[in-house]
Amino acid sequence: MAELRGTTNGPVLTRWFGTDDLHRIDVYERLGGYVALRKAITTMTPDQIVQEIKDSGLRGRGGADFSTGVKWSLMPKESAVPMHLVVNADESEPGSAKDRYLMENSPHMLLEGVGIAAYAIRSHQAWIYIRGEYDLPFARLTAGIEEMRAKGYLGPKPFGADWELDIRIFRGHGAYICGEEGALLESLEGKRAQPRAWKPPYPAQKGAWGRPTTVNNVETISTVPFIIDRGAAEYAKFGTEKAKGTRMFTVSGHVQRPGNYEMEIGKTYRDLIEGLAGGALPGRTIKCWWPGGSSSPVMPGDLLDTTTDLDGIKNLANLKDHPAPPLNMGGRGFATMGGSGGVIVMDDTFCAVKAAHRLLQFYAHESCGKCTPCRVGGNWAVRAYDAILSGNGGPQEIKILERVQEGLQGGRCLCGLGDAAGWVIASSLTHYRNEYEEHALHNVCSAEKVGMAANA
Amino acid sequence: MGVLSDHVMEEIRALPPQFPEVRSAVMPALDLAQEEIGYLTPEAMSDVAAALNLDPGYVEGVATFYTLFHTEPTGKHRLYMCTNISCKLRGADDLLEHAMRSVGVHEQGEVSADGLFSVEAVECLGACEYAPMMRLDHAYHYDLTPEKVDELITARRNPSPPVPARQTKPRTPRRQKTDG
Repeated sequence: MAELRGTTNGPVLTRWFGTDDLHRIDVYERLGGYVALRKAITTMTPDQIVQEIKDSGLRGRGGADFSTGVKWSLMPKESAVPMHLVVNADESEPGSAKDRYLMENSPHMLLEGVGIAAYAIRSHQAWIYIRGEYDLPFARLTAGIEEMRAKGYLGPKPFGADWELDIRIFRGHGAYICGEEGALLESLEGKRAQPRAWKPPYPAQKGAWGRPTTVNNVETISTVPFIIDRGAAEYAKFGTEKAKGTRMFTVSGHVQRPGNYEMEIGKTYRDLIEGLAGGALPGRTIKCWWPGGSSSPVMPGDLLDTTTDLDGIKNLANLKDHPAPPLNMGGRGFATMGGSGGVIVMDDTFCAVKAAHRLLQFYAHESCGKCTPCRVGGNWAVRAYDAILSGNGGPQEIKILERVQEGLQGGRCLCGLGDAAGWVIASSLTHYRNEYEEHALHNVCSAEKVGMAANA
Repeated sequence: MGVLSDHVMEEIRALPPQFPEVRSAVMPALDLAQEEIGYLTPEAMSDVAAALNLDPGYVEGVATFYTLFHTEPTGKHRLYMCTNISCKLRGADDLLEHAMRSVGVHEQGEVSADGLFSVEAVECLGACEYAPMMRLDHAYHYDLTPEKVDELITARRNPSPPVPARQTKPRTPRRQKTDG
């Protein structure tokens, strides 16, 4: 296995990382693993667990940032049909690798969390939907489930409790849209992964196979054993008053130490990028950074002191002297978002227009085709970028981009993919309009010149 | 006439009881078909549809939606090169071109003359801290350089001992119980 790049011996999620063979159940148990699952199902009621998770302040780490305890409490307490926990392990947001880091290094942390969460929502059958390309995490989870079964932690009466649990794995087959809750459930049902129509019904009412379902991200569920073992208050000691805990960040791109870092929420992106990830490459300057995957609106390099809590990220005032991009998320203005925690860093040697072009190719390719504004909008943007970057563009292409970003945004589509594509254009065009104009009007790339000078 | 072997058809027919509904077996079934004959021909999709008693059009709809299913021939070894932003910032575009030159193809999806390789640019594979990277023969390869890419290709041209290709893929465990 490749060398570990990221936090070891961290505060919560990565506290045992760095231990040899942590993926094996005997090693995991020796360190204190499965204490929380035993405690949960032998000494706590499902409602007590839900309350504990609510009290901890844990929120969904897949990007939606919704209270995990509240989500669990929406599940019916009785159901004539089976209920399901579904773990979203379809990590495919560009710049996000933290779920892979968690699963391949500490699969039992996720599996233990699955056991606790399933018990809390009264589900006897949990599914892990994992992206098809994740070969090692799949192998580790498969082996982990077999180890659990051999120990009697799965099947009837784990730890002697009157309870039964089965964990199953479903492999995806390559589609970004499967990270979207409704599309993931469609895919699990064996269909083309297209988001479901407007809610309600919510998954807690009708989810996988029409049954009550809770969908949670890998990191969210992996946090659960710590909270149950040490208590909600211990977890809530980390973070700010409103945003509790730690979270995983993947830092990639133009930094000295790319990696998956666990950091207390509320610290700044400077702490993360310049501290943990070692900052810019020698002689380079950070031009911009995406706080939470490519779908989070891009931020200029001089705003690294933005804090990682919700108030820090969302607050328009934190853009300081920069113009606010025309971002429309349900009608509210916002600066950017924490998203999946995939922090992408780009320095002054790379062209902002080329970066946005690549991302729009991504959104155009990954549009599932269900909603027309997204299906056609991405392609319009790609054509405009093609023209601008090939020297065949003009002011009209910039105008097209301005109109297309508006058409993609504002909740015109069933899911957020279209909005995200619009935000990429809106934020890039607002902060780097000069580069767009250089390309479109003068066929000049100033970033390329910086890059050539840096490499000379 | 079917193109899938009897034992693969048998494996496919054994899939549905693992799921609450038969349609959930379509993707694992297509996986088995693709493993056996390399890519999903209309005949293979028809076999899968027959084994699961589903409309072949439905099966094709699923097969053509997901990027890991191939409806055209591919090389025995598929190079899935990540070219999304984190890898692009660290040189993925040049590596993609290098890999294509190295295996001797002119465009993505083309199969090399010896039938061994095809190269595809793919979206983010979720290993951004090791950029640039790719997936090859069901394993990730990290911190790629042109030299590393050449080594991986050469090792598959002259296997000694033979480098396993498709056989290494872990499959969905068979021990899953039927749905309760």
